[in-house]
Amino acid sequence: MGEILQYLLTGLSLGGIYALVALGFFIMWEATKAANFTHGEVYMFGAVATVVLVERGLPFLIAAPIAIAAAAVIGALIERLLVRPFNKEPNAIGWMLTTIAAGIMIESFATITYGPLGRPLHSPLAEHPIRFAGAGIYAQEMLLPIVAVMVMFGLEAFYRRTTLGRAMRAVAFNRTTAGLMGINPNRIALIAYALAAAIGALAGILIAPVVQAAPAMGALIGLKAFGVAIVAGIANARGVVIVGICYGVIEKLIEGYISTGARNAVGFTLMILVLLLFPQGIFGRREVVKV
Amino acid sequence: MTARQQFIATLLLGVAFLILFRQLEPSNYQIGLMMRCMILMIVTIGLNILIGHAGLVSLGQAALYGLGAYVAAWLAVKQGVQFLPAVIAGVVVTGLFGAALAYPTVRVRGVYLAVITIAFGLVFQNILVEWLPVTGGTQGLIGIPRGNVFGVSLTRPIYFSVVAGCLIIAFIIQYNVIHSRYGRAMRATAQSENAAKALGINLAATRTLAFVISAALAGLAGGLYTFLNLFVNYETFTFFHSVSFLLMVILGGTGTLVGPVVGASILTYIAEILQDLQEWQIFAYGFLLAAVMFVMPQGIVGTCGALWERFVVKSRGRETHGWPDGSVALAEILGPGEESKQIALETKALTLRFGGLTAVDNVSLEVQSGTVHALIGPNGAGKSSLLNLISGFYVPSEGSITFFGAGIAGLPSHELARRGIARTFQNTELFGQMTVLENVLAGFHSHYRNTLAETLLRLPRFGREESQFFSQARQLLKFVGLSDFAEEEARNLPFGHQRRLEIARALALRPRMLLLDEPAAGLTHGEIEHLKKLIRLLAGHGITVVLVEHHVEMVMTVSDHVTVLDYGRVIASGSAAQVQKNAVVIEAYFGHGRVVPTRSPSPVLLDQPGAAE
Repeated sequence: MGEILQYLLTGLSLGGIYALVALGFFIMWEATKAANFTHGEVYMFGAVATVVLVERGLPFLIAAPIAIAAAAVIGALIERLLVRPFNKEPNAIGWMLTTIAAGIMIESFATITYGPLGRPLHSPLAEHPIRFAGAGIYAQEMLLPIVAVMVMFGLEAFYRRTTLGRAMRAVAFNRTTAGLMGINPNRIALIAYALAAAIGALAGILIAPVVQAAPAMGALIGLKAFGVAIVAGIANARGVVIVGICYGVIEKLIEGYISTGARNAVGFTLMILVLLLFPQGIFGRREVVKV
Repeated sequence: MTARQQFIATLLLGVAFLILFRQLEPSNYQIGLMMRCMILMIVTIGLNILIGHAGLVSLGQAALYGLGAYVAAWLAVKQGVQFLPAVIAGVVVTGLFGAALAYPTVRVRGVYLAVITIAFGLVFQNILVEWLPVTGGTQGLIGIPRGNVFGVSLTRPIYFSVVAGCLIIAFIIQYNVIHSRYGRAMRATAQSENAAKALGINLAATRTLAFVISAALAGLAGGLYTFLNLFVNYETFTFFHSVSFLLMVILGGTGTLVGPVVGASILTYIAEILQDLQEWQIFAYGFLLAAVMFVMPQGIVGTCGALWERFVVKSRGRETHGWPDGSVALAEILGPGEESKQIALETKALTLRFGGLTAVDNVSLEVQSGTVHALIGPNGAGKSSLLNLISGFYVPSEGSITFFGAGIAGLPSHELARRGIARTFQNTELFGQMTVLENVLAGFHSHYRNTLAETLLRLPRFGREESQFFSQARQLLKFVGLSDFAEEEARNLPFGHQRRLEIARALALRPRMLLLDEPAAGLTHGEIEHLKKLIRLLAGHGITVVLVEHHVEMVMTVSDHVTVLDYGRVIASGSAAQVQKNAVVIEAYFGHGRVVPTRSPSPVLLDQPGAAE
């Protein structure tokens, strides 16, 4: 009993990360039908930048917002420089390559300047695990799924209630028509990428006290989160969060009941199989293409 | 120089270079480097077919390369299998994996394949590290015997020739695939899925084929790598390596013949230099990829080619000829045509709903073979939806469609095209980056009988069919007056010419029925007169023409029968004259009320050229 509870709890925490990072992919996809493959590195950047700032003597509560703001700027820059010029025709693939290139550069730059090893970030929530029913978990870890769900509701409210949010939905629905209605789709894209990057960096900062911040922490999470977003169908925030959290739990169950080594193999194989069964993603809509 | 001459010249140059290289008595290190480079070229050539022609991106090519390597290594080490069968097994296994991975892209493309290939690459890595008994874990498989082929021991000099031979084969395969109906089908699916389907090209099969070829070449390269290196290790087949394969293709020039060779050689030598950078090496790769995307998205060969076109090749004088050209023996291309007075097309209670909206409502109609049957109606009446149902682009919610007696409702578009239903599109859908001639050749796709093996080996039937369809395609271009534009890229044609080309391409299908979706939209008066002549000519050849058109004057003069739709229902059907007098039709167009007499009350006023649906 304690064992399965333990897997569920750590799975929820891991799933929270996937959900948060995948939400970023969802936001970017809605705005541009493209995404930033550097997103995993942005998540890493959030954690690493906060650690560096805290080491320089800044208090956490100042360091974290600075890191998030810096990540947002990076996100906006990536949109402007690496995505927009390479996403001009439908089904363009250039953005995939330019952002992968940027991801490689960011990660190797971080490895060289920061060092390959992880460094801790102290948090009062990650000092003493909460123990009950034979399972133990840090309060810090439980923050992740909670924040993921909060961000999801926040996003939904933002998309529904605010003018900017509605404009973003309009662009997602039809870029050209939105443009004719006086919405500047390029500005929306810029904002979307900044917002996505900020959420990604937030996820990195939240997990740093538990896993230590290291340059290599982002790449795989980014790829998995993109897979999660695609498997969810990149159609709505709820679907992305549900699939993200489930994927985290499934990974932990695989680790527990099969083997740690099998985690990625089984997890990714599941992803491939789900896409074979639901090519539009689990919550995706089939688009009718007008000819 | 024609493409073929260029190919042969490049091939000879390459062979001469390799022979020269051997004569210069290179050091062991140099030979090894050259062999590694040739192996990477084989992977890159495969990836180029996928990216440059089928328009699909694989981010897991290194894993397929690794799969071929590990299969060969495992067979050689653990089963004592010899070089040749081990490599062949690697190619086959990799090809099969390619087919399995490509399957989901049948329905969706782009990022989905990217995700699946990334996932495959990571799964592969994971398995290599964890499945100790088979893969040797992190240590990999070591002590692979050199082995021999047909009794000849594979010493280093002999192995050099083996690798070179495989590279030449890969290079020839590349040329033979891309200059064939298969290559044209790949480019067609990449450039316009809709048009490809409408020409009888099976998207699923075409994309799977591209992926299988690229996977098999990666597998071949992997097997060669195994017997060169004599040990394999998971570190050679990571995501990073997949990205560097992409970089090779793009650096060289996607879709070009020699691009992959150029890209792979430059990157191999750059990698040697970059080793001095040590920790900055990976950063440099990323920077290089970004730089190439910014500075030379067409790659080295692509950019050189474009410059050559611009400064060296003089554009010939081109003249647009009148159309339709009556001197073309259409019957030879299109076949005998149907006997008249059959029922070509019949729909019964055909209904199409989009959610709560009924776009086509209980439509029953009959089209006689060899006649021109027009569908008209106000905007949003359901004309185009009906056309899309007949051509298989939409699946009916209810009702049946019969084509010369056979039920066809719900069949996929490419299947309907093969049965003889051709169509054009409201917003012309050409294969923009293919030449005008290639566009028409793509239309002949379903009439080719030669197999992939015959294409790859360039057997006689391939040559016969190719020259037959080339000459027929030129005839069709002559028919629509575009002979002089044959080598031009389709996207550079003026709008009216694009419409002509689309019709020529549809005729290449040898259709029994031709669906024209607003063919007159955007054409000048003169062009419309020619179009009318063309439509009557085709009907005279026994082709059934279904015409959706807003240009009422044209509809009334060319049609044998007119069906009027409004809100998805048939409100009138009959000869042109009957329909014009029909009160319901007049009301649908003008609303009701007292008719105000004017000087020219003829229904010609219904004319709305260029109106968008």
